[in-house]
Amino acid sequence: MFFPREMTEVELIIPSKDLVTVTKALSGRGVFHQVDSAYLGIESLGPNAWQEKAANYSALERRIQATMHTLGLEEQQRSASDFDTIIDLGAAHADIDRIEGEVKEVGERLLAEKKRMELLESQLRQIEPISDVNVEVGALSKSEHLYSILGVMPAAQMSRLETSLARVPHVFFTLKEDSQKPVVWLLGPRSAYDVLDRAAKSAYLNPLALPEEFIGTPEEIAAKTRKAIETSKQAIFGLEAQLKKLGDAHNAELQKLWWDVHVSRLMADAIARFGQLRHTYVVVGWVPTAELQALTERLKAASKEILIETMPTERTVHSANVPVALTNNKWLKPIQELITTYGRPGYGELDPTFMVMLTFPILYGAMFGDLGQGLLMMLVGALAHKRIFMKGLQSIGLLLVYCGFFASVFGTLYGSIFGFEGHHIQEYLGFHFEPLWISPVNDILTILGLAIDAGIVILLFSYLLSLFNAARAKDWAHFWFGHTGVVAIGFYLCFLTILNSLLGSTPIAPKLAAAISRLPLPFGILTPIFAIGVMLNGLFRNIVEGHRPLLDGGAMFFVQAFMDLFEGAISMLSNTLSFVRVGAFAVAHGGLSLAIFSLAGTEPTIGFWITIIIGNIFITGFEGLIVYIQTMRLHYYEILGKFFHGGGMRFEPLRLNPSQEEA
Amino acid sequence: MAGGVSGYAAISAKVRAMYSNLLTPQDISRLSESPDFSSLISALKHTQYGPYLSALKDNELTPRRAVQQIKRRLADTYASVVQMSPTQARPLIRQLYRSFELGNLKAVLRSIVTVSSSWNADEAPWDRVREVLFPFGSFSTLPAQAMVESGSVASAVELLKGTPYESAISFALRRFSAEQNLFPIEVALDLDYWRRLWTEARKLKGLDREAATKIIGSLLDMNNLMWTARYKIYHKLSEEELINYTLPFGFRAHDDDIRAIAAGADAAAVISRIFPTIPDVAALLEKPHTGLPKLEVQIKRQVIQQCAAAFIGNPFHVGLPLAFLILSDLEIQDLIALIEAKSSDISDEELHSALLKTALQN
Repeated sequence: MFFPREMTEVELIIPSKDLVTVTKALSGRGVFHQVDSAYLGIESLGPNAWQEKAANYSALERRIQATMHTLGLEEQQRSASDFDTIIDLGAAHADIDRIEGEVKEVGERLLAEKKRMELLESQLRQIEPISDVNVEVGALSKSEHLYSILGVMPAAQMSRLETSLARVPHVFFTLKEDSQKPVVWLLGPRSAYDVLDRAAKSAYLNPLALPEEFIGTPEEIAAKTRKAIETSKQAIFGLEAQLKKLGDAHNAELQKLWWDVHVSRLMADAIARFGQLRHTYVVVGWVPTAELQALTERLKAASKEILIETMPTERTVHSANVPVALTNNKWLKPIQELITTYGRPGYGELDPTFMVMLTFPILYGAMFGDLGQGLLMMLVGALAHKRIFMKGLQSIGLLLVYCGFFASVFGTLYGSIFGFEGHHIQEYLGFHFEPLWISPVNDILTILGLAIDAGIVILLFSYLLSLFNAARAKDWAHFWFGHTGVVAIGFYLCFLTILNSLLGSTPIAPKLAAAISRLPLPFGILTPIFAIGVMLNGLFRNIVEGHRPLLDGGAMFFVQAFMDLFEGAISMLSNTLSFVRVGAFAVAHGGLSLAIFSLAGTEPTIGFWITIIIGNIFITGFEGLIVYIQTMRLHYYEILGKFFHGGGMRFEPLRLNPSQEEA
Repeated sequence: MAGGVSGYAAISAKVRAMYSNLLTPQDISRLSESPDFSSLISALKHTQYGPYLSALKDNELTPRRAVQQIKRRLADTYASVVQMSPTQARPLIRQLYRSFELGNLKAVLRSIVTVSSSWNADEAPWDRVREVLFPFGSFSTLPAQAMVESGSVASAVELLKGTPYESAISFALRRFSAEQNLFPIEVALDLDYWRRLWTEARKLKGLDREAATKIIGSLLDMNNLMWTARYKIYHKLSEEELINYTLPFGFRAHDDDIRAIAAGADAAAVISRIFPTIPDVAALLEKPHTGLPKLEVQIKRQVIQQCAAAFIGNPFHVGLPLAFLILSDLEIQDLIALIEAKSSDISDEELHSALLKTALQN
């Protein structure tokens, strides 16, 4: 729950005769993450025949898909159990050759007829705009003094063509406006023939090319073209009917053939990455430990002689080679997405999803505390999640529900509902609603101080999680002397006492810092000790890890050490004060509501309520988004950075079923 | 949709962090001091490219594969920046990313044209081509393998239906059929790509638009000037062709400048006026075979400065991710130059003149 799923490394030795059944068992459930055997140093004996097979299946699959496409058939996904064994390439070729033979000729005729009709339609488009010109089209090209080009060209190139002909006398008409293929007519003196021709060619003006039998005036040619289009349409109709018939006849056979070839291709791809010995294959990969028992049973059922060696991998090992499968829980998905945007947890690392599941909505709610707007956000989130409303927000629908819930809780604590607070609630809504805890607008400094307190708690917790991670990984150098190690925590506590003495008894002074200052500890002595510890962290780490030289850079080491201390202190201050924003946004929320009220006026007229409604929509959308970014920022910069490293490898199991792959 | 501070808070923080991981001119200099290819790879393994290069065994790391692995990092960077960008900025960033898809498309078309003449018949064309394609992953809409296997440019173009390239290529196809030369297709694709990129930049509003037109405009300046120079010097194209094969947009180089060069004005004087800090443009243009690549390097350095300037001041606009992505691409161009130099007989002097970062202070 708090870590990525426990993984077991599995090594299989498969007799050649059971290769296919075992591969099917491995791929069937989507639990086996294959490791390419090439990385293990297992070389194949000679060229890998399965790579070639995979390429052949791939080519065959494309042929089947092309035939199905010609017949207007959609591929129908089936389940993995519908697959028996890798299909024989020869037999599959024979089947597709036979069907293709029947389909290809009709398909090609249809394609040619469609092309012919497309061409005729294009000619008609070009000739129609000049149908009232009573001149033989052939005569235009034979004119002694005039050079003309009628044709189509890219719309975007038209102005460029005119620019390029700025120094040549010419006339340029757009006969038919079209965003894709406008019909144009370029005329100029025959003496400038070469310039006009070069310009037209380089502007991609494609001249109208009429078949030889299409002679006469534009109107006569247009009539002939229309007639030819009609004939072509009838031919297309007939050919399509033939294809439909063929499609009905071969649908079942093609669907089965496609599925068998498709799955054979996927399996051949997987086998190509197995290590091949003389009579056996070696397969190495990872399985979530919870799935191991079921997978082992399936493998043994598939091959009696299979050798299975399993090596459970303890989570204390932080290995970049172990794939990381996160807990598959739909309620956690939006939080997991937030985390994986930052980084995928390493195998031995604490998965921060559960912690962020709490801290993210709580910090969000604290900044956006409003009962009404929170409930509205929950509603929008739920509808978006179910794809009923605002479908674009579907991926963060659940996150909106969580954040909305805590916004409502804090709204109740702050006594705020749709921006109405204090006497406004009684005055305009007609009921009494007092804050259960604090009103941020009326108690600004207290809420800011409390926000810092909350930040200190979260930061200390993050430091402790970092210690936990280092201890599990037995990384003692970082446990004691890391940037978030024991010495750094000691210095942070001392730093809090200094902060307390600076802020004194001001309302913003964090109470937790004051409480720490009151502990019966000699902070006056501890502070310089921990400060020196932070300064010399690098040196101590070198000692613990046995790195030499201990002092790299001589005198510069001490300059750098001092800068490390300075930077450490500054970042502790900024990290702590960064949480002030939680209180500041709670205040800003109240302030923004007050601004809406001052715009709305005091009389509860229709205008007043319209302003309030628009203001609420604005606050929920605009401030909601800004608070979301602030919450994300707090997590990415102040919280996760303390203990979470990421860098884990994604768990990508073998799958037969494409629908599983997409899922 | 969210823009400004709210829209760019996360992406600008992430981009700034990634920006600090870009190689410095000093890093590039250090890498260039590697005596050979294997020591260059060892040195690169200690950079941000390390995990990508370590994914292959040392004996599998040929120069071409090393370049592919390095490009994978850029692909991952693009994927992550696109994902984090606010909605209004995504079309522009996706279109910028499409420049690599455009490169793949050109490579595929070239492979179809040249496959019968020069390539090893024992190796399937696709196996040869895929090694040089940018590793897009699921972002690409290009049916590259099917195109290569289709065997002819016309059939390959048929497969582009429904892609953003369909329209531009369909106009150029007739010229390809007549001339049997990919030049008109490639120019049409380039013009269409850059026109779309500029349109996306102009669709933005306020600060986004200002930043985007500056950065994209700088790239267009470079393209327009280099296209004009190359078409004029190498292809001997006429004024009207030069105008039709360039675009009337840019940041510093205006259409009047391009038209002036096309009409026969002194190109060196025009370029020197646009980029006064580039020295000896006239000398570079006198020996175009060596001078034009050097001029391109100089203009790219101007682009780098333009991109670096985006990181100064208000960070909440599309300029940051755009500039970062372009800088990442230019960094990879440096690394490719290094890999090619260290795996062949290119002299240090030649290498240093091709590197973009070494001559800059930052």
